[in-house]
This record gives sequence, C-alpha cells and structure tokens, in this order.
Amino acid sequence: MCGIIKRFPGVLANDCVDFAVHQGEVHALLGENGAGKSTLMKVLYGLYRPDDGEILLNGEPVQITSPTDAIRFGIGMIHQHFMLVPSLTVAENVALGLPSSRGVITDLDRVSKRITELGKTYGLQVDPRARVWQLSVGQQQRVEIIKALYRGAELLILDEPTAVLTPQEVAEFFQILRQMVKEGHSVIFISHKLQEVLDISDRVTVLRDGAVVGSRLKGTMTKAELARMMVGRDVGFQRNRAPVTPGEVRLSLHDVWARSDRGTDALQGVSLEVRAGEILGLAGVSGNGQRELAQVINGLRPVARGHVQLEGKDTTGVSPVELIAQGLAYIPEERMRDGMIRDFSVAENLILREHATAPFARRGFLDFKAIARVAAGHIVDFNVKTPSQETLAKNLSGGNIQKVILARELSREPRVIVAAQPTRGLDIGATIYVHERLLDERSRSLREEKRHGAAILLISEDLDEILALSDRIAVIYEGRIMDIVPSEEATPERLGLLMAGVTKEV
Amino acid sequence: MNKLSKLAVMILLLALAVSACAPAATPASPTAPPAAEPTDVPVEAAEPFRVAVVTPSANNDLAFSQSIHDAIVLVQAAMGGPENMQYVISESMFVVDDAGAAIRDYASQGYDLVIAHGSQYGGVLQEIAPDFPDISFAWGTTVDTFGIPNVFAYEARSEEGGYVNGIIAAALTESNVVGVVGPIETGDAKLYVDGFVAGVNAGNADAQVNANWIGSFGDVALASEAAQTHVGAGADVMAGTAQMVVGAIGVAKDNGILWLGTQASQTALAPEIVVVNQIYDWSGIILEIIDLIGQGTLGGQSFEITLENGGLYMEYNPDFDLPADVRALADETVQGIIDGSINVLP
Amino acid sequence: MIESLFTAQVLLGILTSGIRLATPYLYAGIGETFGQRSGVLNLGVEGQMLLGAFAAFYAVRQTGNLWLGLLAAILVGGLMGLAMAFVSVTLRAKQGISGIGFFLFGLGMSDLLFQTLLGTVQTVSGFRPLAIPLLSRIPVLGPVFFNQSFLVYAAYLLVPIANYVMNHTTLGLKIRAVGENPEAADSLGVSVSRVRYFTVTLGGVFSGLAGASLSIALLNVFQQGMTSGLGFIAVALVYFGGWRVWGVLAGSLLFSMVNALQLWVQVLGLPIPSEFAVMMPYVLTIVALVVAVQRVRPPTALTKPFVREG
Repeated sequence: MCGIIKRFPGVLANDCVDFAVHQGEVHALLGENGAGKSTLMKVLYGLYRPDDGEILLNGEPVQITSPTDAIRFGIGMIHQHFMLVPSLTVAENVALGLPSSRGVITDLDRVSKRITELGKTYGLQVDPRARVWQLSVGQQQRVEIIKALYRGAELLILDEPTAVLTPQEVAEFFQILRQMVKEGHSVIFISHKLQEVLDISDRVTVLRDGAVVGSRLKGTMTKAELARMMVGRDVGFQRNRAPVTPGEVRLSLHDVWARSDRGTDALQGVSLEVRAGEILGLAGVSGNGQRELAQVINGLRPVARGHVQLEGKDTTGVSPVELIAQGLAYIPEERMRDGMIRDFSVAENLILREHATAPFARRGFLDFKAIARVAAGHIVDFNVKTPSQETLAKNLSGGNIQKVILARELSREPRVIVAAQPTRGLDIGATIYVHERLLDERSRSLREEKRHGAAILLISEDLDEILALSDRIAVIYEGRIMDIVPSEEATPERLGLLMAGVTKEV
Repeated sequence: MNKLSKLAVMILLLALAVSACAPAATPASPTAPPAAEPTDVPVEAAEPFRVAVVTPSANNDLAFSQSIHDAIVLVQAAMGGPENMQYVISESMFVVDDAGAAIRDYASQGYDLVIAHGSQYGGVLQEIAPDFPDISFAWGTTVDTFGIPNVFAYEARSEEGGYVNGIIAAALTESNVVGVVGPIETGDAKLYVDGFVAGVNAGNADAQVNANWIGSFGDVALASEAAQTHVGAGADVMAGTAQMVVGAIGVAKDNGILWLGTQASQTALAPEIVVVNQIYDWSGIILEIIDLIGQGTLGGQSFEITLENGGLYMEYNPDFDLPADVRALADETVQGIIDGSINVLP
Repeated sequence: MIESLFTAQVLLGILTSGIRLATPYLYAGIGETFGQRSGVLNLGVEGQMLLGAFAAFYAVRQTGNLWLGLLAAILVGGLMGLAMAFVSVTLRAKQGISGIGFFLFGLGMSDLLFQTLLGTVQTVSGFRPLAIPLLSRIPVLGPVFFNQSFLVYAAYLLVPIANYVMNHTTLGLKIRAVGENPEAADSLGVSVSRVRYFTVTLGGVFSGLAGASLSIALLNVFQQGMTSGLGFIAVALVYFGGWRVWGVLAGSLLFSMVNALQLWVQVLGLPIPSEFAVMMPYVLTIVALVVAVQRVRPPTALTKPFVREG
C-alpha cells in the first residue's frame, strides 16, 4: 500500500501511509486507539475508499472497491467484532455469499467436508453443524479464520484478534497463525498489546496519529522502544502502589445467585469481600457473569438468592438511589449507554446524580449558576478536555467521557466503588489517568475517619490492568469465583488457567 | 439519501394517502360548490339549505350508509334540486375521531344541518353540539338527544321489517332451518335480528333459527364463513344485516339459498335468490327535521322510521317468484304491525 | 350441550371453513415472513391486500379472465412492495410508520378506485372449486380437502416450497443472514439492499395474491375495506409462527379454525355470549403464543435499516 490517505470529517485518519507485507510473514500493525490501524485495513479490504494512494498486489496496482473485490484478490479480514450470524450453523456461515455447487440449492454437506479438511490442515477443529451462538469466543474466531481460508485468502488481516481470548487461547491461536504462515499465507496482525506483538510478529509497523512512525524487524525491537513509538513519549510500566493496610469490610457478597437476561444462572453462588483501602480485581473472560455481578451490587438486577451487604447493612434488593446515598459509586461497563446521556451537555452529565438536590436544584428548579460553577471545578480537577461545559457528551472522546464519569462518581468521595472495564477502549494516556485516579481513591483518607480509602471492586478483562492495580485478585468463571489470590502470588499463567475454569487441583 | 429527500417522500406518501381519502368529502352534486369554500355560496334572498352527512362506511355499501345517502338525494329532489339544497357527505369515517373532526368542520362552515349517521358518533357529537348552538345536528340510530336543544335523534324500528322477513322465511323454509348473520350484537343490528328471530318463531313453530355474530362490520370473509356455517347446519333461507353481509349473500347464491335483505336493496347482487328487502327511507323524517329547523326548532326531538310512517317498507324482488300466499301473509303481517295487533318484540 | 360440537357435520364444517379462512393469512403471512427474516417489518400488508384484491377483481370484471386478474394482483402487490422497499431500504425510513403509511395508501386508493371505477358492490365469477380426481372421492375428508379453488391449493403448496427456499437454498441463506447480521453478510459480499428489495417486493406480491384470493376466489366480490384487519392479523401470525413458515401455517390454521368454531358455537346455541365467542380466536392465539413460543427470538436486525460504516 503506497501513500494511502483517508480523511473523515475533521480527521485525517491515514496520512500518506506506506505499508508492505511479504509472503509468509506475520506483520504487526501497532498503534493506540485512533491511530488509524483499522482505517488502513478497511481501505485494504475495500470497506473504505481511500482519498489518495494506491494498492499493489504482487507488484500489480489493483482497485479494491468492496469486500467482494478483496476476497477475489485473496484478502481475508477478521474483524474485531466477529462477522458471524449467530443463529446459523458454522457451515452456513462459511457458505454464505458463495455460489453453491448445486446452483440455487445449498451444498452444506460439501462445505462441511471442506471445513473439516481445513481444520485438519491448520489445527482449526470446529463442528460444521454447530450453531455459532453455541460456540465459545475462541471457536468463533476459528470459524472466522476458516471463512477466510475457505475463500482462498492468501493474506489475512486480523483486527485485535486476542482481545477476547484467555491467555491459553492466545497461545493456541498463535499456534494456528504459525501454521498458516508455514503454509505460505501472510498475516497482518493489528494490536496495541506490546507483548503479543513481540511474541508473534516477524515485522512491526507502528502508526501514530494516522502516520507511520517506523518499522522494525523481529529481534531488533524492544518493548520500551515500541511503546515510545506508539505513544510518542516514555511510558512507565510499573505503577507505584502505595502500601495501604486494608481496613474494615465495606462490601460483601454471600452466596449470590442471579439470572442473566436470557434466564440462565449468570451468578452461581458468588461470595467475596472488599475492604476499605483495597482494590479487589475481578478477572475473567468476557461473559462469565461480570456484568451481572456489577449490576447486582448496584441494585440494577434482582438477586435470586443470597445477600449483598454494604458496610454490614443488607442491601439485597435495595434501590440504586439508596445505594448511592450509602456511598456506592458505579463506573459502568457500557459508558456511552449506561454512564451518560449522550445528548446532554458535559455539565448536565456531571451533576446527573445529584441534580435533584441542593445546590443544583431549589424547590424543583435547576440552579444553572451553581451547576456551572461545580461543573467547571470538576472539569479542571479531572482534566476533562472539552471545548465547553455545553458540549454534548456524545461529542467527547472515550477517554474524556470516562473522565466525566469519574468526576461525577468520585467527587462524592464514595466509600465503595465498582469499576467495570474502566479503561476498555481508552488510549494509553487516558488509561494511565484512570489507573492513577483509582489508586488515589484507594489510598485517600476519608474526611471523617482519616484512615482508609475507598473499597474498590475492579472488574476487568485486561489481565495486565488487574495485575498492575489489584491487592487481591478474584477469578470468575461461569458465574462462580474460582479462587481469590493475593496479587504477589498471581501470575498471568495461574490466572489464565483459572479464567479457563481449570482449578489448581486438576 | 439525505434527510430532506426522506422527508419529501414521506410527505408525498402522506399526500397520496390523504388525496385518496379526500374524494369522500366531495359534494354529491356536481353543480354544488366545494364544501370548503362557503364564500362561493351565492348570498341571495333564497339561500339554499345546506346539509352535511358523516357516515361510517361508503355511500354505496348496499346497507346502512347508503340508506341515508339515498334518502338525502330524495330530499334534495323533493326540495327542488341543488339550487335549494346543497348536500355533502364524508363517507368511510370508521375512525370516530376523524368523524368528530369532520362534524366540527361542517358545523364551523355553517351548515344548517349536520347528520352524524352512526350510533358510535354519540360521544363526539355530545362534545361538539353545545359549541355550535346555532347549528342543528341529527344523529342515529338512537332515541337519545342528550337533552341538548340543537340535537335531533332518529332511529329505525328495524325489528319490524325483521319480523316480516322472519315470517316470510318461516313460510319459505323446507328444511325448517333458517340462518341469520349479524355484525356486533348491539343497536340496529340487534333489533333487526331479534325481530327476525321472533318472526320465524311466530310463523313456524317447527322452524329453527340460528344466529351468529362475527364481531365486525367489515370482515366480508368471516361473514361468508358465518353463512357457510348456516349452510352446514342445513339452512335453506338466510338473512343478515350490515355491510359485510355481501360475503354471506355470495355464499347464499352459490348454494341456492334464499336471501332476505335489509337496510337497502341487495337484489342486484344476487337477483336469483333475493326474495325481499326491508328498505330504510329516512327522507320523510329528514324533511320533517328540515321543516322544524325552518320554524326555528333546532333539536330536542327524536324520530323513528316505521312501517307505519312509511320510513320502512318491504321491497320485493320482481324477478323472484314468491308464492302468492306467502306474499299475502307478509302483507297481512305488515298490516298487523301497523295497526298494533302484532307486537314484534313484546 | 357441548357434545353437539363433536358431530361429523360440525367438525367437517369447522375444518372446511378453517382451510378457506386460512388462505389469505397464508399468502400474506408467508410473504411477510420473507420480509421479516431479512430484517424488514412491513405493516402495509393490509393496504397491499386491498389493492391486490381490487386489481384482481377489476381485471376479472373487465376481461373475464381469471389469470389476468391474478397477474394484476401480482403486479399491483409487487409495485407496492417495491415502493415499501424503496422507502425502508434505500431511504431507511422507520419501518413501522412507513408501513402504516402504505396501509393508509392502500386503503384510500382502493376505496377511490372502487368509487370511480365500480361505483357499487358487484360480483364476478371467480375461481370455482376444483375437484381433484380420485382424491376428492375419498369419503368424508375428500370433499373437505380436495374440492377447493385453485388459489386455496396454491396457498398450501406454497408452504413447503417457501420453507425449502428459506432453509435449503443459497437465497434463503442470504435472507436469514441479512436479517440476523447484515454487517456479516455485507462483509461476505452479499448485497443487503438487494436481498431486502427482493423479499419486500415478494412480500408485496404475496399480499396482492392474498387479496386476490378473497376477491376472485373465496368471495367473488369487492367492497371497501373488505380485508378488515386480515393483513394485520397476518403480520401478527408471523410473530406467532416464530418467523418460520410452518409456524405461520400452524398459526393461520389455529386462528381460522377457532374462528370457524366460534361461528358454530353460536349457531348451535351454546350458552356463550356472542361477544365472548368472537373473542375466542384472539384469546386462544394469544394464549398459545405465550405458552408455546416464548423461546423464539425475532430476527436480530428486524426493523433496523442497514448502513455500512464509513
């Protein structure tokens, strides 16, 4: 790809990018969120039309105007969000859009046979007759790869493929990639995880602000150097966690059961305690009950069985309003959906929680002066980058939205904080800010009792984050807490096994 | 595609939908000026009398709505044509709120008489009439004027013709099974069916009369199956009321079953099997109402059309060979009802 | 008294009525199933049926040729479907409200055409019952099943055909994928809009046929608003049938049979007020819906217009 330029309204997403992949190599495309990695690959896959530049395939210039073209040229793309139809079978997903050997009638039996063959060649075992919704995330990813290989893809684009996998699954996945490269395929691997990039890539190209910062070959790069290229400054990997002696139990759950939206038992007897001045990390692969757990604690989902206690008081089934009054803060997972009102201004979002009480409201009327004063303070304190208080929340970047939520939730000096995926989708700068803020809360002394900071339950799918911040780490698997380990004893390998449901005894 | 063109298409569609409905409000007489422009009405010494009618179904439904339309056309002729009386109709106002809006429009345009032809319009009329104390309203079928001084009420004693039809059915049935199809068990339809059942029972103690209601005034398909049910039960004479009975008449025709009609003449649909129709002729009472308005009485009275006052009459199908004795029996029954010796629904 | 229902005469009567009553639901419901499986909710079925019914009736009235009547219904229904596809797929308008727009359009337009072209309720000689040799001679049941009009047979034949197309052809696979995850289909080179245009137009054709089955086969008459909500019930039956063709068949038959049953209940003089009798099909259908098909999920992309990012 030569001199690719792609503009979006107000943004130059790709600024004259040159990028080349050789046959039989894994080429990593590294960069922060918004660096232009996905845009570049969508151009290559025909989903976006570049404003300028050309694409050469085996030396020949080609026009790729749609995914159909890309597939014809032997390019396959595996999106971050899987492009699978959950209600269809594996074979149906693979056959979709392809001509059938029987004309208008489907030839799923032949497709299935070929899928099994591909599975054998590349170590991609999956049952062609299974419906996709029945498969684990790792298996679904295999289906995506099979889909691309079935269509004769020579070059595979993988957009953040490891984000949804457990460490063990990542290892298996890398095995598959190596096999594919050995068979002569080329792979473009998009990621912002440095360690993985170092593990698997033959070559790394770093993008920042839409432009190429540089390329490095395997063996000639270090983690620190790549990080500097990515962020544009030195990045510290160790966070200073001030030693804090945990205080009394602030939040405890005893044998809590709850149902998911689909009616299955999402939580199956969860028990845990979080003390003042400690961060309890909850690790686990997405969809193992984390979401339901956060909702149960915050009174947003009914408890089927068991008890939730806040500072010794039973709060099972208590309304969110009362929980807030008792000092519970919630940083929700879906920050755009559950944490914000998109069409409200920054100031309005900042006072959303206390809008009905003094000083913001008097006798039912909002006091806009008081709101503006407090909002201005929050914006400074929490370093929110916004054109004005009146800017609508939906126009802020992900990091700044999270800062608005943090300002709203943390400025009240909460006694218990539930932070669900607080840095997902944020760039490194914003992530560091959120981490520091949480650590501050942990060690801050409360005004009245001068001793202990907040009790924090940190729910995250990012193991690095869990390891960096937590005092103790609980691992959740299929609605059960597998184990709780002190962070000094936790290693990615041990947590990974637990996340996959494997207990020590096995 | 931008928002503007989206909007444009939606408006276009809306306009089409509206224009498709609009003809319902065109003047019934081509020489009459458009209803919406009352200023066009020549302001002369003899200003024409202006009547507006709102009906739930179409003016050619061969049933309820057609009966009022036909009547007003008659009245118009009787008064000397469109120069002396102007007439507009809004048909197919099955949505009561739409009908209410139309009634209010006509009242504010200064029509002398606004007729709300449907018992479902009572509620909206009760709200509208007091706002226009100088306009006369009439509604039916009911006897209730709500005690409002500018509302007339009118009703058909449809059970009378129903009874006569019942007597005829009882005389004609050979299988001794008679069927009747009704819409919803209320109002005019219930009166007619009750009268019909009473007539069959009075005329032939051995005859069995089956009634079924389909729960709708418009479901032609279900009315057809209701008639099929009667066929299955062995009926050889059938009757029915409301506009959806065209479906039942079709079944009667296919199975060679005799049909007794009501509300308007249904003979044209199946000349070979329609025996007789009870016809509603509202023209008499409408002339009476117009007369009262001329004298300054704008409402407060209720009227009935009956066999006695000629508002109801039996129209026999000339192509159907009705045995003379049955015809005589029917005439006798009509006479009995008129002179009070027969009490239809005791 | 209730045992009077269980005579051969009554049961056969219910069966025969049910089969006929279900015919328009089958056409409209199967057409709507295709549309909804591809992600488009068409609430304009009723309007398409009315215009189809009128077109078929008028063509037969003018030419006396039943096949021209069918062709007219197919063309008019197809055009209405195409227009709905344009509004919902190309313009990406809200499907619910534009469907209501098409319903009103069909209602008003069929009324207008009726007033200007026919003027009064008339009849035509439509498709006659067609006895199938041998089969119609089967004692008792033969006349019930094998002495119907062509359009009734065709409706029931359509069920397995539609089911096969939906589940065993590449086209059906595309339709199902587009309704569940249009982004995925798009990424594999399936044209989401082309599939939806096809299904919505096809739905219009079938709705037109549903109207024709009333006006030139079952009733042989046209009256304003004669479908009287049948089109909306057909849409509801798609939900009832769990977006499956066989489910639509089951729902249509259940609803129609219970409707036929309630007519008999009244004729036999069972002590049930008519107001309750006419409610029976609705109540039973709702109960069946709640009890039996709770687990079925609608197509994920239903009512969602597809926009490719970027």
